[in-house]
Order: sequence, then C-alpha cells, then structure tokens
Amino acid sequence: MKILGISAHYHDSAAALVVDGVPVAAVQEERLSRRKNDAGFPLHAIEWCLDHAKLDPGDLDAVVFYERSMLKFARILTCTLRAFPRSWRSFPQAMKNTLGEKVWVRGVIASHLGVDRRKILFTGHHQAHAAAAFLTSPSRRAAILTADGVGEWATLTAGIGARGEKPGATGPQARGTNISLLREVRFPHSLGMLYSTFTAYLGFAVNEDEFKVMGLAAYGRPAMVDQVRKVIRRTPDGAFAIVPEYFEYQTTATRSYSSKFVDLFGPPRPSYEPIDVGTAEGRRFADIAASVQRVLEDTLVDIARALQQETKLPDLCFGGGVALNGVANARILAESGFERVFVPPAPGDGGCALGAALYADRLYFKNPDRDVPDHPFWGPAVDAAHLARAAREDDQQVDELDEAALIERVAADLAANRIVGWMDGASEYGPRALGHRSLLAAPHAIEMRDRLNRDIKHREDFRPFAPVVTAEAADRYFELPAGGARLARFMSGVFPVRPEWRAELAAVTHVDGSARVQVLERSMAPRLHALLEAYGRRSAIPVLLNTSFNVAGEPIVNAALEGYTTFRRCGIDALVAGSAVVTKRATASATLAKEHVA
Amino acid sequence: MSAGTRSGPLDRLLRPLHKWVWSDHDRRVRKLLIFGNVETDGGRDILRASEVTPDPLLRRLYLEHAIDELHHGVLFRQRGEALLRQRGLREGGFFSGNPLPGGHGLDDLVVEDQGDPRLLAFLHIAEKTAAGRFAIYRGCVNDDPETRAIFEEVLRDEVFHMNYSYQQLGRLTRELQRRHVWRARGTRLWNRYLRVAAAIAGLIANTLLTGIYFILLPPFAWAARRAERRDTPGWRAIAPDRAESPTSQY
Repeated sequence: MKILGISAHYHDSAAALVVDGVPVAAVQEERLSRRKNDAGFPLHAIEWCLDHAKLDPGDLDAVVFYERSMLKFARILTCTLRAFPRSWRSFPQAMKNTLGEKVWVRGVIASHLGVDRRKILFTGHHQAHAAAAFLTSPSRRAAILTADGVGEWATLTAGIGARGEKPGATGPQARGTNISLLREVRFPHSLGMLYSTFTAYLGFAVNEDEFKVMGLAAYGRPAMVDQVRKVIRRTPDGAFAIVPEYFEYQTTATRSYSSKFVDLFGPPRPSYEPIDVGTAEGRRFADIAASVQRVLEDTLVDIARALQQETKLPDLCFGGGVALNGVANARILAESGFERVFVPPAPGDGGCALGAALYADRLYFKNPDRDVPDHPFWGPAVDAAHLARAAREDDQQVDELDEAALIERVAADLAANRIVGWMDGASEYGPRALGHRSLLAAPHAIEMRDRLNRDIKHREDFRPFAPVVTAEAADRYFELPAGGARLARFMSGVFPVRPEWRAELAAVTHVDGSARVQVLERSMAPRLHALLEAYGRRSAIPVLLNTSFNVAGEPIVNAALEGYTTFRRCGIDALVAGSAVVTKRATASATLAKEHVA
Repeated sequence: MSAGTRSGPLDRLLRPLHKWVWSDHDRRVRKLLIFGNVETDGGRDILRASEVTPDPLLRRLYLEHAIDELHHGVLFRQRGEALLRQRGLREGGFFSGNPLPGGHGLDDLVVEDQGDPRLLAFLHIAEKTAAGRFAIYRGCVNDDPETRAIFEEVLRDEVFHMNYSYQQLGRLTRELQRRHVWRARGTRLWNRYLRVAAAIAGLIANTLLTGIYFILLPPFAWAARRAERRDTPGWRAIAPDRAESPTSQY
C-alpha cells in the first residue's frame, strides 16, 4: 500500500511517502524550495518523494493531510467571535488567510496531484504528532505526550500507543496498532504559545527562534518564576491554564502579549538590540528566559509523571514542537519515572507528514505493524560527482579519495582546526543536522565557537554549539542518565558535560556546563562514526562540534551545489561529499569571474 | 552620475517626494530595513540561480552577484539598526516604507522556472532601475555620511551587475538580446500592475469583511461568548468513540 503524507500551510511544510508500512522518502519543502520554514503547499517535496519511489500520483492508495482543516477554521472563527469587537482588525486578515487556500485542502490536493478526491484522508493534528512519535520509535507499548502551539483545538494531548502484530501473526493474539489519545488541553491554554509569547517578548522570531530562549535561559536565574506563574496557573486536575489578560495571541495575530504582560515583566527587548548578558538589562532578559524555561519544565515533568503513574509504562513517546526543548526532555527523563523517552528527529509540524501517513497505514487501513528504520535520513542523496565537476570548473582543489584515505584526511583537517562541510548520503528529515548535512569542527577551544559564529553562522554569542560523540565513548565525556543515550540519538536532550572535560570541550560546553549532545551509533551514520574514531585517534577525544550546514536565515543545504555555494561564500575550509573533498583555494574566488567580464 | 546609474524620468520627477521620504528619521529607518530585506531576498534568489544554471561562467557570476546582494542586505540592515539604536521609532505613521518596493527580492522570482536568458534580462532591468533610484537616494542623504557611503558602495556593485547581466545575455542570445530586455521590462510592469491590483483587491476585501464583521457577526459573537463561559480550563477527556472519519475535515 502506498500512502503519501502531507503537512502544509502553517510552517514547515513537508511530504512523506510510506510504502507497505515503511517510510521510503520524507523531506521538508524548505530543503527543496530553499525558503526557510516554507509553509506553502509542498509540491517540490511531493514530487521528489514520488520520483524517488518511481511512482505516479495515480499509483497512490491514499493521500493523508495532517490536520482537519475545517475544524481548525472553526477554532479560528470561534476565537475571533469570542474576542468581538476587539478582533475587528484581525478578522479580515484571518478570513483572507484561511479562506484563500487553507480550508480547501481536499480540492488543492486533488488539483495538484490529480488523484481521486475519495483517496484524500485527514488525521487530527495531534494524532499525526502522536503517530510520528510512537510509530517511528522502537517501543511496542508506550505512553504518548504531544505538545505544541496549537493544532485544531488541542495544544497538548496525553494517551497510550500499542503496536499491533507483525505480518503473518494469527490467532487470538493478533491485533492491530492502536493510538488512544485520552485527554487534551485546548486552545488558548498552550505551553507552546506561552513559550512563543516569551520568544516574541525577548525580541526573537516566533516559530523559529524558540531555541534561542532555551540557550539564553542558561545565562539567567529563574528569579521571575512567580511572575511567570501569574500568567499561567496550574489547574486542580494537573493541567494548566493561561491567564488571558496577559496574552493577545488568542485575539489578534499582530501581538502575542498584552500591556498587562509588559507591566508585569517590564519593557520587551527590541529585536535590533544585541543581548549583552553582562548588563543589567541583558541579565533581566536572561532571568525571564530562565524563568519561563523552568515553568515549562516543571509543568511538563508533572504532566509526564502523572501519565507514568497512570499508565505504569516504562516508555514515553513525546512529539510536537515543544519536544524540541532538549532541557525539558532531559528533565522528563530524569524526573517523571519513565525509563526511556523517545523524541523523533522531526517532532514538529514537518514530521507530521510522516506521522499522518503512518497513522493512516496502521489505524485507518489496519495494516500489520512494521518496524520503522531508526534513523532520520529520508531525504534526497548528495551527488559527489556533481560537486567535483562544479568545483573543478571553478578551479578549486578537488581530491577524490578512497574511504579510508578520505576519513584520515578529514580527521587531519579537523585536528588542524579547519572547519569542514560534511555531506553524506540522504539528508535528514527534521530541523537538526545529525551527521549527513553538518558543519564539523574541533570541539576544544572557545575560539572555534567564536570563529564559527563570526565567519559562518553569524549567531548571537550566547548560543551554544552541539557535540557529536561515538556511543562507545559518550559516558566518558557526558553525564548521561539511564536512557540518556537514546534521547541523545537525535540530539533531543541536554546533558551535563563531565566537569573534568569541560575545558577540553569548551567550544561545545554551554555556560551552565551542559551540551545538547548527539550520541552516534555506528549503524546510524557509519562514515561519521569512522570519522569520529579517526579524530579520536589523533586528538584522544572522539568528539566533534556538529552544527547544521547552513548560514543564518537559510535552510540546511540539501544538494551538492547548495553545499558548494555555501562553502564558497563563508569561512568553511573544506567540503566533503561522497568521495570528493574540495579545499578552498583563495585565488579561485568568484572575483576571477568579475575580471572575466570587466 | 554615470550613464549606467542615470535615474529614470519618473524618478527624477519624484525627486522631491524621495527627499521628503528620506528627510524623516522613521521613514529613513524603515526604508533601510526594507532594503535590507529586499537585497537579502534578492541575493538568495540569485544564489539559487547559481545552483541551478548549467553554465559554469554564469554560476561564478551569479555567485559573485549573490554575495554582493547579501552583503548589501547586511549593510542596509546594520545601518537601519544603528539608526534605531540612536533613536527608536514612532508607532504607526502615515508613511511606513514603500508600498510598492522595487528590486528583485519581492518579485516572487521562481528562479528554476526562468532559464538563464530571461533571468539575465530581468536582472539587468532590475539592477538598472535600482541603480538609478539609489543614485537619487544617495543625493537625499547628504546629511548622513554613513548612509551615503552605503549607497555609494551599492551603486558601484550595481554597475557591475548591470553590465555583466547585459553582456552575458548577449553571449547567450546574440541578436535576441534587446527583445529579451523589452520582454523583461514588460513582465516587470505587469508584475507591478498585479501588485497594485492585489493591493486594491485586498483593500476592497478588508472593507467588505469589516462590514460583515460588524453587521452579521454580533449575534454569533454573543453565542460564542456564552458558550465560552461553559468551558473550563484544564484537561478535557477525549471520548473513545469520538467519531473521526478519515475522510472528514471536521
């Protein structure tokens, strides 16, 4: 059975293809359209998925959209009505925005793909999140928690998932996969929106820069927790409720916090002012970030703990955009009672395309359970020949090496403090570079962090870089609790760097001594694992700095030439794709082309 | 002023308006920040062109052009932010930037669909227009040497962009070069018309929807508020038998 999943229209559009119960392709639209957080209908992604599997749209058994768009429209309309007459400015905008395309999803899909309208199905937004978290995990039976800004009405759900029997199972034990969402918290009460509101207040971009709040929090003290608890209170049943007077996101799209919110926390940070945590104002913002982070963590831990006590299950599958908060995930693992916490590589809306397709396969069509390969590499593969040809045409130094020589060469480059663009095989599905589209560098000196920020990433100074370490050596350098290595598989947890190694790992150790480490098993990315080992033989520490291969404001690179143009215009020293290593030659700059024309 | 950066007759006619726009701190900041976005978006479009073109020379030229545009974006943004730090902005304001911003960054360019000749013709026209206008803007900010210096730097680059795009268009299309340029002019004009038409349609839609809001919605709003009172925050159980048809959008 061939099922295409689609997420679109809000942020991070994506498509995923499931054939006979197993994913064969999945990619976010932004990686192909090259527009960051592309929310448009994911035509490029769909086209690539079908091409990759050599299918025509007519071959599909179903196309599944990741949410019920009319229900979402009903929520938007209801909230506008509730805010009457204050919502008079936002109403025309909301209607034009929604009625233009978003509510006519069935027609849009049918017209773009030319498929029978009866083949177009829908899942709930949080059902798709739940499926993306549970059905891609190795757990057979798990508690499920999903949390994001908002889907249709739900902002947080709790439930249970149980995998069905494998193909061929018969008899009374044979049963289908089940995902039961037991309860939900509804809009406007939303942990995701709470965090996004503080993101906006702190001068960062909503739906984009939430992780900056998490990074900034480490510089502050949770001194304003009491104030944060005034804007979000706990309910007697263990959930939470925002206090509407402090927020405006439920009534308008132009500002998410109210004047009363500003009275409580002080003036917001203008986005153009740099944050200097050495100043009183900078510390105030860091304290606010630390406080909202603490409240988010406390709330999630309490909810997860109650769910564990109720289900008595050892595994938790956590999905939704809030599951990108690695600090909170680590606390859930440590304090909720769950032995293992599974966060998929794409827990946000982009991952819902795969979740929707898997949900339809297992629950609508009741197909038997199949193990889903435990990796994030479902995107287009890189073409080394393409890179080598372009680089030679531009007079760059290109070496094509056998595997062992290439690994040793790159390890030597890294040990010599060179920054390497690393492209290997299929690209990652999800927001994180997990070793196939990464910038790699030596993790030891703080100067490397500063160089990456200055010459390539152009990021704020307070943001940390992440390390990648071999699974065999992870415990030596990082304090991983039981289940920590699993959470770190897709860089989903933040854990302490062992104190004795912090000086040696200064470029990847955050100000509070923590790191959002990726623990790499050989089977997931064998080439990067080999590189880590080779680097370990040279430096005695098999750890590398691993950050996404992109510059600020752009999506992670996908094809070889995207990596190449990024390499050419910033301070990357070497670029690797397949067997090709390109080294920057200073005189071979594009200036030669300028001279050609002059 | 070189021939390459000569302003168009309309822009010369509008010089007093441009002077008025640039004379005010708020408008100056907004213009600079808009230029920052337009140049950055344009830079990304041209970067994309360098990734998809099969022509090695064009790849190098596009890349150089994209690096220039991205650099201009940074210059404009940094200058706008520096002025903002000197003095904040008033809320709202009658004129908050250009309602019909020029430049290729906002032209919804789909580079993959263009082909090199069309793209080069488009770039030539866009750069020529931008150069003419930036030359006027440079004269409007004589009181602000730092902003003037940015326009001077940008203008130098624009001359190269205009020249290479025209030269390469000639290399690719020979005798059809002028036809491509005229077609690009026409497309640009058409896109401007579409933007104006969309803005007017948006205005009409806003007016109608606001009317509907105040005339039709009050009883529904009253009902929605009454229903809201019955909502209690906290957990809401999801009934196991909640009907959720796979084909339903509700």
